[in-house]
Amino acid sequence: MSMWRQFGPLALGAILGLASPAGAVEGTRAFFPALEAERGRLVINGATDIEAMEPLIRDFQETARDVAIDYTDYVTNDLYRDADIACRLQQLFGDLLLSSSVDQLVKLANDGCALAHVSPATRGVPAWANWRDEVFGFTFEPSVMVYHKDFVPPEDVPHTHGELTDLLRFKPDYYRGRIGTYDLRQSGIGYLLAFLDAQQASTTYGRLLESLSRAQAVLRCCNNAVLSELDSGNVYIGYNILGSYAYAAARRNDKLRIVLPRDYTLILSRGALIPVGAKRRDLAGRFLDYLLSERGQDMARREAFFFSRGGALPAEVDGPAKLVESGIGRPIRIGPALLAAQDRLQRSRFIEDWTKLIVDTPVRLRPN
Amino acid sequence: MKRRETSLFWRLVLRVALVLCGGAALLSAAAWYYARAAADDAYDRLLLGAAIQITANMTVDAGNLGVTLPSSAFELLGLAERDRIFYRVVGPDGRTLTGYDDLDTGVDVTAARTGPVFLTTEYRNVPVRVAVVSRALSDPSFSGWAYVVMAQTTEARRALAGELTSRAMILVGIMSLLALAGTVLAIRYSLLPVDALAAALRARDPQDLTPVDADMPRELKPFVGSINHFMGRLDERVTLLQRFIADAAHQIRTPLTALSAQVDMLEDDDLDVNRKRHLGRVRDRVSQLARLTNQLLSHAMVIHRSDSVRFKPVDLGDIARKAFRSTVPITVDPDVVVSFEDSAEPVFVRGDAVSLREAIANIIDNALQHGVEQRLAVRVRREDDRALVEVADDGPGIPPDEWSAVTARFVSTKTGEGSMGLGFAIAAEVAVAHRGTVRFLEKGEGDFTVVLDIPLYQEGT
Repeated sequence: MSMWRQFGPLALGAILGLASPAGAVEGTRAFFPALEAERGRLVINGATDIEAMEPLIRDFQETARDVAIDYTDYVTNDLYRDADIACRLQQLFGDLLLSSSVDQLVKLANDGCALAHVSPATRGVPAWANWRDEVFGFTFEPSVMVYHKDFVPPEDVPHTHGELTDLLRFKPDYYRGRIGTYDLRQSGIGYLLAFLDAQQASTTYGRLLESLSRAQAVLRCCNNAVLSELDSGNVYIGYNILGSYAYAAARRNDKLRIVLPRDYTLILSRGALIPVGAKRRDLAGRFLDYLLSERGQDMARREAFFFSRGGALPAEVDGPAKLVESGIGRPIRIGPALLAAQDRLQRSRFIEDWTKLIVDTPVRLRPN
Repeated sequence: MKRRETSLFWRLVLRVALVLCGGAALLSAAAWYYARAAADDAYDRLLLGAAIQITANMTVDAGNLGVTLPSSAFELLGLAERDRIFYRVVGPDGRTLTGYDDLDTGVDVTAARTGPVFLTTEYRNVPVRVAVVSRALSDPSFSGWAYVVMAQTTEARRALAGELTSRAMILVGIMSLLALAGTVLAIRYSLLPVDALAAALRARDPQDLTPVDADMPRELKPFVGSINHFMGRLDERVTLLQRFIADAAHQIRTPLTALSAQVDMLEDDDLDVNRKRHLGRVRDRVSQLARLTNQLLSHAMVIHRSDSVRFKPVDLGDIARKAFRSTVPITVDPDVVVSFEDSAEPVFVRGDAVSLREAIANIIDNALQHGVEQRLAVRVRREDDRALVEVADDGPGIPPDEWSAVTARFVSTKTGEGSMGLGFAIAAEVAVAHRGTVRFLEKGEGDFTVVLDIPLYQEGT
């Protein structure tokens, strides 16, 4: 619950704890009153922790003092489902959608559920993080491995996907039930990262999946759930965790260490989209411009997401010095290629295969 | 409102411009059509490639048709950066396997069995280009045709077509402007002979009715021919008229002489004052008529001689003296001082002595009739290569604005009284025949002077 300690004073809606079950239909809602007399209210529906968004929202309100912000946090799949339904029925569903599962936002845009937004700020966005001026990537978040220093000896620390596979092969008993990762069935971003892993290196991915299966990986809905297991020492290594959450956790617990895989590191850019029904698209555009602006990016690097496109890696993160230039960092291009991930047959087959391997494999041994 | 002047130049330019505009519009339309076809062709390949990739990824597993959608297929379509993608995979039973269930193109998918089908239609209110590709499945447990319907919005196609078209239109525009500029130059150049012809006609002497002989393009020949034909007829008319006048004058002279004699014989002693005055007027008029008839004859003679007599060197001083003597009557008013001043040496000109004497006589006569009050001076002199005969008198002279008129026929500054002045007309006629002029010097400090100005005779010319 410690993660929510800063949240109390501003929360209006229900506050869900870290351990609360994923897939909660109703999101966590927070209201940020305007600093001056309210002249506009921006409704944001996000699949991004309020904790990460709060500094950005507060800083934005410094520039727009008469704007109140109503923020609701969803799980990615729920956000997509609700947005999709609202689009089909031409209903209102917030003024701005934020989601780490950009493939879902691309699908929404492809289905004609997005409004284009063009401004000086959007012109500075690199092509890979902008599709049709409708979906914008506003963060830079490597997918990382996190380990607990007390339980993983230095010689065990994996630096590539292959090393993680080998580690689980060589020390299966020690790590059984000690590897945490996403539950693809519940997490859109988990599915996306796994899908892209399978595409980046299908053989490595197959072997890794097999190892994870044998190691009885601990499956959680969300980043923070995995991180809290790490925090408490139940899980030794977390796989495919978004760097921003991992870094935030590591700041609170210095036993947690972050490794950027050196064979390849997927880099996610959290997406923002203005839905077709937006009532205050002007405010949504302003907030989006803020997120993309230098001030917003700077604030995100310092307080919210800790990694940035141009800047160096944060201190104490183990990874290649030049992430993108070295070719190791592979930004996920926001574009129609992500539609393949969103194909329903593909998705169900992929998750089915994964479930068969990871979940339905008979348990031979329970850890502890 | 001013009536608009029609211009050959503007007519041609306007019509050529119209044709060019029409042509440019036609070419632009063609360019747009081809650009669209080219853009469609280019992007259709992507669409087809993506659809084929998907069909290639169809698998039959335990009697179930499955398909993996390769990301590369979408990446291929993603080359059209801003376009949205819709697809639908249809199994042999007609059910939608995956994709957009409502992507119904209205086309019979079975038509795709022989080859890919392309069509342009609308889906979700946006124009899309659709490709339908088939694949025959021949698994023992499962056979039939499966189809992939791949649709893509047309933003990139339209953008490419628009770009190609606008480039082509720029070229067409430049070509049209060049063509128009070329046409303007060509028309200007072609119309130059017309201007030249006009200039030649304008520069002509009014008396000159000989055929126009200028270097003209073939197209202007009929025009020049008509002008020449007209001038020939005019020339004939003028000749006829002159002959008629000469004949008439000659015919009139005989009865006039008789009339003159008869009038002279009339005794006026027994007439009262009133009748005497009338008789005096009749005498005046008869003598005027006689003079005019003489002038007409003289004019006819001068014209005749200018056409028929060969010029030879003659002494202008000699001729002037003879003219002076024959013209100034012995009975001249004693108050008038007349003088003749010859050049120190002979002044030779190439010409006809008879015509020249007639001309000088007429000028002197004119001065006596209309000008002289107390002084008449005739001088012959040479100035550079010109021979000049000057007739000066102290009369009122002729105002400068009438100078050009008096050398024309039947014009006099004194209309109604005295004679109709044919004198200067005769003099001018002779001067022109001798490549000279009749000039006037305004009455200023000196007397009003009429100058007959003829080039000097030069050995060898």
